[in-house]
Parts: sequence; C-alpha cells; structure tokens
Amino acid sequence: MTWVTKSTAAPDSTTILRGLSSRRRVPVGSAIYNRLLETLYDEAAALDERRFDDWVAMLAKDLVYQAPIRLTRTGANKDRDVMRTMFHLDEDYGSILMRTGRLQKSAWAEDPPSRCRRFVTNVRAGETDAPGEYEVVSYLFLERSRGDNPHNEHMTAERRDVWREVDGAYVLSRREIIVDQSVLGMSNFAVFL
Amino acid sequence: MLQHASLVLRDGTSLDDLIMRDTNEVSLRVMTDEELYGHEMERIFAKTWLLLGHESEIPKAGDFIVRDMAEDNVIVARDRDGSVNVSLNVCPHRGMRVCLGEAGNKPIHQCIYHGWAFKPNGDFIGAPIEKEKMHGNNVDKASLNLRKARVHLYGGLIFATWNVDGPSFDEYLGDIKYYMDQLFCRTDSGLELLGPPQRFVLPCNWKVPGEQSGSDGFHTLTLHRSLMEGGVMGGTAETIYDQAPGMYGVDVSCVGGHSLRCLEAEKTFKMFADVPFEGKSTEERLNLLTPPGITKEMIPQLFRNLSADQVEQLANIPPQVGGMFPNVLIAFIFAPRTDGGSSGALTLHTYMPKGPNQVEFINYIFAEKDAPEQMKRDMLQNSIQATGTSGTIEQDDADVWPVIMRNARGAVSKGITLKYQALHGHERPEGWKGEGLLYPGFTKDDTQWNWWLAYHKLMSEA
Repeated sequence: MTWVTKSTAAPDSTTILRGLSSRRRVPVGSAIYNRLLETLYDEAAALDERRFDDWVAMLAKDLVYQAPIRLTRTGANKDRDVMRTMFHLDEDYGSILMRTGRLQKSAWAEDPPSRCRRFVTNVRAGETDAPGEYEVVSYLFLERSRGDNPHNEHMTAERRDVWREVDGAYVLSRREIIVDQSVLGMSNFAVFL
Repeated sequence: MLQHASLVLRDGTSLDDLIMRDTNEVSLRVMTDEELYGHEMERIFAKTWLLLGHESEIPKAGDFIVRDMAEDNVIVARDRDGSVNVSLNVCPHRGMRVCLGEAGNKPIHQCIYHGWAFKPNGDFIGAPIEKEKMHGNNVDKASLNLRKARVHLYGGLIFATWNVDGPSFDEYLGDIKYYMDQLFCRTDSGLELLGPPQRFVLPCNWKVPGEQSGSDGFHTLTLHRSLMEGGVMGGTAETIYDQAPGMYGVDVSCVGGHSLRCLEAEKTFKMFADVPFEGKSTEERLNLLTPPGITKEMIPQLFRNLSADQVEQLANIPPQVGGMFPNVLIAFIFAPRTDGGSSGALTLHTYMPKGPNQVEFINYIFAEKDAPEQMKRDMLQNSIQATGTSGTIEQDDADVWPVIMRNARGAVSKGITLKYQALHGHERPEGWKGEGLLYPGFTKDDTQWNWWLAYHKLMSEA
C-alpha cells in the first residue's frame, strides 16, 4: 500500500491489487488471529456506539486511511477496477481528528445520528516484514438507518488493514477500503468504514 | 408584461402556477411532478449544453469514458485526429449499449449483442458477415451512425448538447464567460482532472441541488456552521451571525441562469493573517494571497492568459463559488489545511437527473496542470475532505436534500412555496469592469431567482 504521488484521470493507472498480499499466514484460531479478530470487533462496536474517542485511541499517528473509487471495466482491463488516484475518503490522523471533532459540534449529517451496524467477516491475517505488524483483510457490511426512513442504506467493502502491536494492544496504521459500488448508493460517507 | 407560459400540465396547472414570477415563489410540487420531469428532459436536458468531463481523462487516441446526459448514456471518445466526440451509447440496431465499460481505450466499439461496430467518432463501420448485408438491404451506412452530439471544449472541460443548431457555447455562457474565464482559462497548461469523478446517488429531484447551485450563499452560515466552528471561514461559533463571514461580496449572474459569488480577497486573507491590501499593486496582492490552486510562480501566466481587468478582479475579488445552469456547481475555494498550507480546492459537480426522485452527484476534482505534484496531492485531499462523498461541507447538503424531497410528496406540503423574496436588485458597483447582472453587498436570492427564470424560459419553449 503506497502513498499516491502521481495524480491522473487516465484509467491506465488502475491497479489489480486487492486481498491479502502476505504469504506468511496467521492461521485462523491462533492466539494472534483471535486477538486481531477481537480488535476488529471492538473497533466496530466503538464506531456503532459512536464512542469516537475510543476509536481514535485505536489509530496510529502515522495512519493512512483511504477509500479508492471503483470503475466498471471490460475486456483485458476487466480486473483493473480499483482507481488509486481518486478516493471517497483520503485521510490521515489529523484529518480523522478534524472529522471526529466536527461530529461533536454542528455536523447535521450525523445530528440526528445514523444508527449503524457494522458486520465484519471473512477475516484473513498475515505477517508483514515489520515485527508486530499484521496485514488483516476483512469484509465489511454496513447497515445504516437514518431518521424515520424505514429503508436502510447499505454498503459492502473489502478492508485491507495493517494493525501494529503497541503496548500489548493493536493500533490501525493503514486501511484501504475497497467499496463494491462504482456509483455509491449511500448518500454520504459521514460515517467511518 | 410577463409573457404567458406555453406549458400546461394535464390537470390544467400552468408553468406560471408553479413558477410565480409576480411574487418570486416556486411551488414545492415542481420537485416531485413526473409529468413536469418528462418535459424537463426534453426542453432542458435534450436542449442545453451539459458538462461531461475533462479532456485530461482521455489523453490518447481511442481513449473513452462513458457518461450520462440526464438519462441518455453517451460515449465520450478521442479519435485519431485528436478530436473529442460524444455519441449516444445506444446501438441503432436493437438498442443495446455499445460500450459497457466506464473508461478505457478502444479503436472500435463493437456491440456485444449482434456485433455492429462503430468508430470512436460514432461512425458506423459495419455488421458481421459483410456479404449478407445484415445492416439492411438498401440502407445507407451513414444513416446508421451512433447519434452524435455537438461538442465544445472550454478550458479542457467537455460540454455537449443535442441541440445541434442551437446557441453556441459562448452564447450559452453569455455575460458570465468573462468571470468563468478567470477560473478555467487563466493558465498556460490549464486544468487537469486528478482522477475519475466520485459518483453517488441521492434520493431527491435534480432541482433540489440544482437551485442551490444558483449561488445560494446564505445557507453556508447555518447548514455549514461547522466551517466557522472549525475556524475555516473566520469568526467563531459565537459570532457567526454577527460577523457573517463570506456573506459580503458581489454576486454576478446572467439571463442564462449561471452565477458566481465573488468575495473580497482582503477579507478572505484576514482569515489567515491580518495584512491590508491598501496601496498594493495587483501583482503584490496576488502574491499576498494567490488564488486557490495557483502558485506564486504561476502568477505571470495569469497576465498572459487574462485581460488586465480580469487579473485585477482575480486579485481583489475573485469568483469562488457558483454554478452553470442547469446542473453544474463550481467551488474554487480557499481551503486552509491543518498543516498550515492553503493550496485551495478546485471542484465541479454535476447533478444528473435519474428519474424525478433521484439524482446522481458527480464530483470532479481538479488542480492546475503546472502545479507541483505535492500541491496536487494536497489539493486532492482538500477537495475530498471538504466536498463530494465524504466532504465535511457537502455531507450536510446531502442530508438536507432528500428530506426536502420527502416533504414535497405531502398533499398539503407540495403546495408550500419556495421563497426568493429577499432581493437586492441589479446594481453596478463603482469601477466594476465586467458585464452581467450584479448584486453587491450581502448575498441574497437574486442569482437563484435568475436560475428559476432561466428554467422558466426553457420550459416555455416547446
């Protein structure tokens, strides 16, 4: 997961990369896997319950948090559909603080707040070259209820994370959210993914 | 004397009953009426110029993107001669989409249904099994081209219209062109789109965001209160209504319904640091506060590409936000960063109708092509964090519009009128150089009312 340095609208720069890239798996059911899974569940609960201070405490100061856009492609390029030059979210630790700070004040998009339920599944983990850092890939299914509208908005995505062990707990240092829609059906991303 | 509108709906309601030109009101019913929507598609979206993208998306021969002109899907492709072509993405054989991808490069577009093939400029090449003449026995091949729209490039922006014999693009822009040029035609290399647009749909009629794009400045104080709380627009949470940051300037507009809000640079600059402009030359002022997206090194380019009067305006009271009728929003704004930078944000949105109850919000994010890579990177982040899908400004807009839409369905509620009665009236400020309809002082309803008058005019013409 590299920082974008070259911007372009031409679709040639789309990339295939998705899923788990590490070849050294952290086996399902192992102690580390269980602790990583627990961390993902705790994170989802903090966000669903709008405990943003608890969530920010789970973030590394060098966080890179991005949601690239998806394109519909055909033929030889049919799998080159993740456009890493344009994003729905393009954040660092400072901008996340700006966003969570805003949510405490006049952020009408979340006041009244959405009722969210984040379902995290298909968790796969692998070791990275840095000791204590793990690549964790998961599926996210987000159900979001707004006001008195009986129809939820929903969103599915793959999340490619790097979690780093610091003082016996894991902090999130990288997250790439690969959404499945080329045209989002959710009216905004005023919630975190 | 107001000219009588020719449009009458099946229940006897006339356009003048919906757009009340004597009292400056608009019936909320216009947001939900399906019959009216049908007329809008024919009288507005099949007639006027529409923004489809930027030529930096299709740099090479054969490059294409697929976009919408309201509910008509089109292929925007660059041909071998370098021309940009817009063709209806509907096979004239059986009505299938000819191009199913969203972007790519193809020398030939072949329909996957029966194999009819077309050039990037929309010309029909042929159907498979040439000797069997599957395109027809005595049919002229030229009559089987994809339906072609008229194209105009403006500052690299791709505009198209089905009104092949209608007004030119310059006529369409009218008096607002002088001001738009200050944003889109000011540098040697022009703008560059930083990536394919963000796209998302909102459950509301296109006119809900559309009328706001007619330079609704007033909503910023309340709906976008978090800008003041966050210190992005000057003032503090306690003094928002006393200081009214960003509300005073000159709103410019024209009979075509386009508009821009011009805000005094000196006042904007005070949000960053208190340095007076008095006694300083145009060039010195530009150096003190470079327009959003422009570096100090690029300032000589402004003098090369614009008139002295235009550069002077860009230095003193630059256009910041506004729109092009019917469905383009412009935000070329100062955007202070948490790291102390102020590279700005340059974005355009189109609000494409998808039925009476749905609109697609398409967010195009730009930088000047000659800007350094790090500045482009910063500006991408500025735009994403302020506008579009997740932007902290436009999250709040996206939350309001669908609620207005739900209200508009009520039997009683749809009779409520939208009010545009806070009017200043055209007034030319002393020493003002540009043409158009001018509204100095506090931002009022004039420009948005002009948007509705432009709507009324097009809807009156069959």
